[in-house]
Amino acid sequence: MQAKYSVQKRRGLGLAIGFVTLLAAGQVFANGAIGDHVNELKAHIGSYTEEVSWLVGKYGEVVDSYEKKGQKATDTNVMVEYWEEVDFHSAIETNYVPVYANIWQGIFGVKQAIEAGAPIAKVREEQAKLNQALWQGLGAVKLASQFQEKGLLAKVQTTETEPTTMPETLDDIKHRLDRVVAKYAEKLPEAATNIVHDTYLHRFEGVEGALIEQDAALVEDLEKDFNVTLPQALDGKTSVDDVRKVVEAMQAKLDKAKSLLLEAEKKRKDVF
Amino acid sequence: MQRRAFMHGLAAVGALGCLPAARALAASPTATSIGNAISVDQLPKLEGDLTLYLGRGEGGLYENVLEAIKKRNPKLNLKIRRGVTAALANTIVAEAKAGVRRADVFWAVDSGAVGVVADAGLARPLPAALTDQLKPGFQYSHWAPVTGRIRTLPYNTDRLNADQIPDSIMALADSNLSIGWAPAYAAFQSFVTAMRLLEGDKATGDWLRAVSQRAKTYAGELGVVMGVERGEVDVGLANHYYTLRLKSGKPDASVDLAFTKNDAGCLVNAGGVVALSEGDLPTNFIRYLLTREVQSYLASEAFEIPLVNGVQPPAGLVPLSSISPPRWTSPSWLTCARRSI
Repeated sequence: MQAKYSVQKRRGLGLAIGFVTLLAAGQVFANGAIGDHVNELKAHIGSYTEEVSWLVGKYGEVVDSYEKKGQKATDTNVMVEYWEEVDFHSAIETNYVPVYANIWQGIFGVKQAIEAGAPIAKVREEQAKLNQALWQGLGAVKLASQFQEKGLLAKVQTTETEPTTMPETLDDIKHRLDRVVAKYAEKLPEAATNIVHDTYLHRFEGVEGALIEQDAALVEDLEKDFNVTLPQALDGKTSVDDVRKVVEAMQAKLDKAKSLLLEAEKKRKDVF
Repeated sequence: MQRRAFMHGLAAVGALGCLPAARALAASPTATSIGNAISVDQLPKLEGDLTLYLGRGEGGLYENVLEAIKKRNPKLNLKIRRGVTAALANTIVAEAKAGVRRADVFWAVDSGAVGVVADAGLARPLPAALTDQLKPGFQYSHWAPVTGRIRTLPYNTDRLNADQIPDSIMALADSNLSIGWAPAYAAFQSFVTAMRLLEGDKATGDWLRAVSQRAKTYAGELGVVMGVERGEVDVGLANHYYTLRLKSGKPDASVDLAFTKNDAGCLVNAGGVVALSEGDLPTNFIRYLLTREVQSYLASEAFEIPLVNGVQPPAGLVPLSSISPPRWTSPSWLTCARRSI
């Protein structure tokens, strides 16, 4: 009991830190059609909970079908359809991209295990990971609803706004990198690669000139990350976890870059 | 594949209208009258609503300028729409065609985009007292260059000395030097447009094909400079400030600048600004961008070249008077031979 509580406590702390980081970015945006519900999370927590329960049940049915009837009688494509169908999808996508990636990873984990004809024990193992990601996602949305109610969570915008300062730009880059992982988890490596390219050209390029004055080696590292390491990792063969490791390493460097630029900004002369 | 993609990109630049835009810009210099840049203390306060379209500036430095202007003019309601330079230029033209002009001022990092707008007949004439502050050769009736940047050939000082660098960009294709470039970069595309204007499409195409056979491609021009410094290539094609910024952070960097003479390789390109609506407010706003204070700030912080009279260029850059940009954009007072830092 104590161990379970400790795990939950640490998970909650991680989620809170994640949201604080997200809030610091100052903006949230989403792809495609997004319902108004994402800006009224608390009012929809009940329906989100029902949807998560529904998803857990539906995915369970898929696994049960595999166990009883075998691979040929099991349609794994419905797993993606179920996920695309629920409002909870966009709620988690707009509020906690890292968990969103975990859910996609979980869906494909089960799907691919079935398609590979894996032993039922292996499939159940993947199912457990997926269920955990779903409930974790619900926890994230519940936490987000509290922030939103207190006015601490930015409204979701259907169009992206431009960051105006270098620290904001670096935060935006970090968020885009989370989206890279999410797209890769969705089995869309080309989309993920496009995000990397656009992020470099339209975000990082604008700040690296100032950053190189502070730490040339750090810029060189990030240049390599953006143009070699991460693109190579997005080859479709690398695991989502390994891509996430590359992204997390980059995000740590971006945090350092932000600190350097904040310090530099304090020393910068006034315009007038 | 890389070459085809690049040529496709070049066609896209042509479709954007950079070629006629460049001619529009080149055809616009006015009779020269010289005045020094004025101080912000000499300017009237700005009041009222102004919408600025800002094409991606130097990180947060352009934003710092805008924040300073807003702070100094509390009665100014400045609304800013930010975006990719070329896209904003197209938006302005499209909005004009639709009869729904929204922007009062357009400030872009690349004069090609300014030219698109000017070429569409949307730029308002600027008063002579404003343009007189600009250096000879940079005075135009319908747009104002704000700051400049020079095309350069950064080279690795461990592998080469300045005398080994061709002083003709066209000769670079026939040299045995390895080359780094960033063909996706907007400034590179302006450089190619200039080459087309100066040398013709055939010569430009031949040059691109020759260089692409042994060029190493980077995503951006700071990457080019860093690649040169690491010794991955002998020379690069990049705007001047990337080398200055790298050397600011790494004083012992193995890179220096060389310049070609009278060709696109030594092009002086400019970020520019145009007034799009009637009234004094847009032009008075532009006056703020040309003050000694703003120009000095962008020179010292962004390493851009001030194009007004009486303001020091960024540290570490040779004087403009020692550079020989191509004739059709060359200020008449420029003289002297190529020199390295």
